[in-house]
Amino acid sequence: MLPVSMTVNGKAVTATVDPRTLLVQYLRDNLRLTGTHVGCDTSQCGACVVHVDGAARKSCTMFAWQAEGAKVTTIEGVANGEKLHPMQEAFREHHGLQCGYCTPGMIMSAIDMVNRKGNDLDDNTIRHELEGNLCRCTGYHNIVKAISAGARAMKG
Amino acid sequence: MAMTMTGEVQLPASRDTVWAKLNDPATLKACIPGCEDLNMLSDHEFEAVAVNKIGPVKAKFKGRVTLSDLDPPNGYKISGQGDGGVAGFAKGGAVVSLTDKDGGTLLTYNVEAQIGGKLAQLGQRLINGAAKKMADQFFENFAAAVKG
Amino acid sequence: MSATGIGAAVRRKEDQRFITGKGHYTDDVSRPGQTFAYFVRSPHAHAKLHSIDVKAAAAMPGILAVLTGQDLAGDKIGNLICGWMIHSKDGSPMKMAPHPALAATKVCYVGDPVAVVIAETLAQAKDAAEKIAVDYEVLSAVTDPAKAKSAAQIHDVAPKNTIYEWHLGDSKATDAALAAAKHITRIDLTNNRLVPNAMEPRAALAEYDSGTDSLTLWNTSQNPHVARLVISAFVGMAPEHKLRVIAPDVGGGFGSKIFIYPEEVVCLWAARRVGRPVKWTSDRSEAFLADAHGRDHVTHAEMAFDGDGKITALKVKTIANLGGYMSTFSSSVPTYLYATLLSGQYAIPNIYCEVDAVYTNTVPVDAYRGAGRPEATFVVERLVEVGARELGLDPAELRKRNFIKSFPHQTPVIMAYDAGDYLASLKKAMELADVKGFGRRKRDAARHGKLRGLGYSTYIEACGIAPSQAVGSLGAGVGLWESAEVRVNPTGSVEVLTGCHQHGQGHETTFAQLVSERLGISIDQVSIVHGDTDKVQFGMGTYGSRSGAVGMSAIVKALDKVEAKAKKIAAHVMEAAEGDIEFRDGKFTVAGTDKSMAFGEVALAAYVGHKFPTQEIEPGLKEGAFYDPTNFTFPAGCHICEIEIDQETGETEVVSWTAVDDFGTLINPMIVEGQVHGGIAQGVGQAMIEQTVYDKDGQLLSGSYMDYAMPRAHNFPAFKVDTTETKCPSNPLGIKGCGEAGAIAAPAAVMNAITDALGTEKIEMPATSMAVWRALQTMNRNQVAAE
Ligand code: FES
Ligand code: FES
Repeated sequence: MLPVSMTVNGKAVTATVDPRTLLVQYLRDNLRLTGTHVGCDTSQCGACVVHVDGAARKSCTMFAWQAEGAKVTTIEGVANGEKLHPMQEAFREHHGLQCGYCTPGMIMSAIDMVNRKGNDLDDNTIRHELEGNLCRCTGYHNIVKAISAGARAMKG
Repeated sequence: MAMTMTGEVQLPASRDTVWAKLNDPATLKACIPGCEDLNMLSDHEFEAVAVNKIGPVKAKFKGRVTLSDLDPPNGYKISGQGDGGVAGFAKGGAVVSLTDKDGGTLLTYNVEAQIGGKLAQLGQRLINGAAKKMADQFFENFAAAVKG
Repeated sequence: MSATGIGAAVRRKEDQRFITGKGHYTDDVSRPGQTFAYFVRSPHAHAKLHSIDVKAAAAMPGILAVLTGQDLAGDKIGNLICGWMIHSKDGSPMKMAPHPALAATKVCYVGDPVAVVIAETLAQAKDAAEKIAVDYEVLSAVTDPAKAKSAAQIHDVAPKNTIYEWHLGDSKATDAALAAAKHITRIDLTNNRLVPNAMEPRAALAEYDSGTDSLTLWNTSQNPHVARLVISAFVGMAPEHKLRVIAPDVGGGFGSKIFIYPEEVVCLWAARRVGRPVKWTSDRSEAFLADAHGRDHVTHAEMAFDGDGKITALKVKTIANLGGYMSTFSSSVPTYLYATLLSGQYAIPNIYCEVDAVYTNTVPVDAYRGAGRPEATFVVERLVEVGARELGLDPAELRKRNFIKSFPHQTPVIMAYDAGDYLASLKKAMELADVKGFGRRKRDAARHGKLRGLGYSTYIEACGIAPSQAVGSLGAGVGLWESAEVRVNPTGSVEVLTGCHQHGQGHETTFAQLVSERLGISIDQVSIVHGDTDKVQFGMGTYGSRSGAVGMSAIVKALDKVEAKAKKIAAHVMEAAEGDIEFRDGKFTVAGTDKSMAFGEVALAAYVGHKFPTQEIEPGLKEGAFYDPTNFTFPAGCHICEIEIDQETGETEVVSWTAVDDFGTLINPMIVEGQVHGGIAQGVGQAMIEQTVYDKDGQLLSGSYMDYAMPRAHNFPAFKVDTTETKCPSNPLGIKGCGEAGAIAAPAAVMNAITDALGTEKIEMPATSMAVWRALQTMNRNQVAAE
């Protein structure tokens, strides 16, 4: 067993875990933050994307101990209290989700995309940047629309 | 998921030495990659345990290996089936033949193998590479063993 | 139209929880003391099961039980069933083989579960599973449906691995029409096997309460009541009233979560045995082996034309692969959901179809988005396109000549189409797609070394599943009506309990829109309750684009009753004659007076009961209804796909997609468009990249996202989606259903476009870039040889 401590959604958390515990398991099972999902076991679907020290990471692809000392943000932590993050708003406004299973990962990837690529994203860029996120429901059309609008809204 | 592989290695030892080593459990145990255990059941049959990793699948294989078509000191057929538990199975055989060459022995092998279960599902694109690597490792070890 | 009523693009009410990570999926549920199940699955496609040694595993730390098929049989747990009886041509019933939840004597596909380990933690369960020794005697396996009849027999009950040899239509008349034809177009097609891959893997959590001797199952189901019925009546797990099934938020289904699977049965059984809750969550590689696959047909088809390009006959022979066992609805998919749609949008006087369903050593095959109808559309639309090419006719023109133009129209294959305007959707799609400008675009593409092709698919489907009497006469084991209960609370807010289940469709919004429109209250005053057999009256669930046409019609019926009763109450309270009460925009008024009561006031009066005679009118305001449709609904439309192929590399890109669909009344056009987008993506995935590969020994080689290509965002352009509208005459709202259209239309449109670009018909789905490149090479070689 291994002690780990990190900050998750602004709160300091500490636990002792089996060294093979993945970050996603730690978030879901220990912290009961079940908004982060698991859609595959080969690091391909992006349902598990969270931010670690401000950058998008697939939480199924790292151990909990690898986030030692890090600041982790999950889908539960992106809104500012009651006020939704502009990217969350955009997904609702543009019907960028159906079953909602891929959605947390999509939103976390989208925010990261804007942080890296700026607020004016063309469709082509968005589609290629979504390489690591699968959605079986939407055909991506409205996800692309949502991200494009959300990116603009994030400008302020 | 079936695969085949052929190859040859030049060994710095006489055909008789190579043959003896090929039938020596201790040598085989030392040379088989990941081999944890090897017990003779009879002259031509033994039980082995080996741990191997193919792509994302790591498995402990337990199985019986038999030697047949024995033609000392020219070659034999070695075949077996390994049960990797949840990971699936691997089975197959190799025809090994020995000829004199350049003062040493040329060993040629002809492998046919099959994998199944998770190994095939997740490891199929990697199996050829993994098998080649295992064969290379075996013969590297074996060459060292016959030399010294 | 009100801002939240029928026809408004209302933003979805359910989104709040999903975008904030507060969705509640099965795996998110945890119960005190819960344990974990891990299934040991066969690595062999076909083998006798001699023995399973569980001793070492059972002795491992944290293990509560290791259970096998023998234990299951010992506890008299019944087999899984297929609920739709199909009879062969000779009248004999289909050959349904026993399907135990854990194999006991033989295994029939790679992934067939043989044992389960229940442990304190999942890691302990997995570790113990490694210690289980299974003694298999491997038998020869078959995966190709075309070879099944001559392969080693899989089940004792099914000689030649044949489940049924079924047919529909008039064989003599069809042969005669073929013999008299001016031209016959012949094709051989493979409808590729697909893995559904809803993003949420299946899961089950079972809990036993010894105090009440009852079981609760949370699971990823599209139809919790049907699950309860089957697990109770056929599997014999517990009486229906002692089994509660809850399907909370479900992350996509596409058919794969309709069926009753071994894992949920085993979790229930194990939970009672160990006296602790038992949870199983599939991982993705397991899902590839454990979720029913879709499609997998091999077909030869012939279409006869007269001298005017009129279709005179269609003859189809299909072999359908049902896999290692018959899944819950598997038998109906290649028969009554397939052959009955072979008339397409066309007036075809003679149709004959034969379907042989076979067992193979593969994962069971059942309904996947569209279920049978995509396979039918693919056959018809490929034939029409190839026929047009052979006849030297424009493919749109050939379609126009053959369209059904007057309704109702009785096809020779059971279905009676009630309404449609196929010309309207074709015309609109051609305009939107700028078909006129295609020639120019093709020349432009050629200048850049690219081949450009255009393909149509004018599809039809039968949805609104389904009139109980009709499906009963065709062999269904259940009726396919739907139920609703409308509960008006004393404060005027409303709960609607529906037997439908949402897993992405947005019922919490669209159903609320209907209530909002009818009762004149805000949608925030309405909540939709579904997915829990303890809360909701019996219902049939969601699939076959039925929730709008059937589920909402049931709500309409219940609302009618609510309105009628509320009028009675309002009449008494306002001291007027019942016939003088009018209800509009949420207000009850007395005709010719200024007396009125708001809906909420009547609701309160209903529960207070002070102002009306409760011996004449019962207090309360709550009504239920069961709605059984009188016909299927027939959504139809036209999809046009344009494709560009790089001649050097074979790289193939969908450059434009136009869809014009007639779904009848739209409740929420935003949600409808979303359904179309998703369907197209699955259809394009099938046509271009998704490939399920079995080797000859029955090993699944495309068993993860590393090897099974899932459509990603960059595989698509933005879609152009529009609608036309003819109301469905058979239900009160005029709804036809939209959930499957895209998946039904798309494959044919893609393949028609690719073959148009290539100039050869010799390419099968999935037309990967590699397959296209190969086709180009073959054509080049043939050309060189000819020169
Ligand atoms: S669960 Fe992390 S990428 Fe699929
Ligand atoms: S919304 Fe269902 S997977 Fe994306």
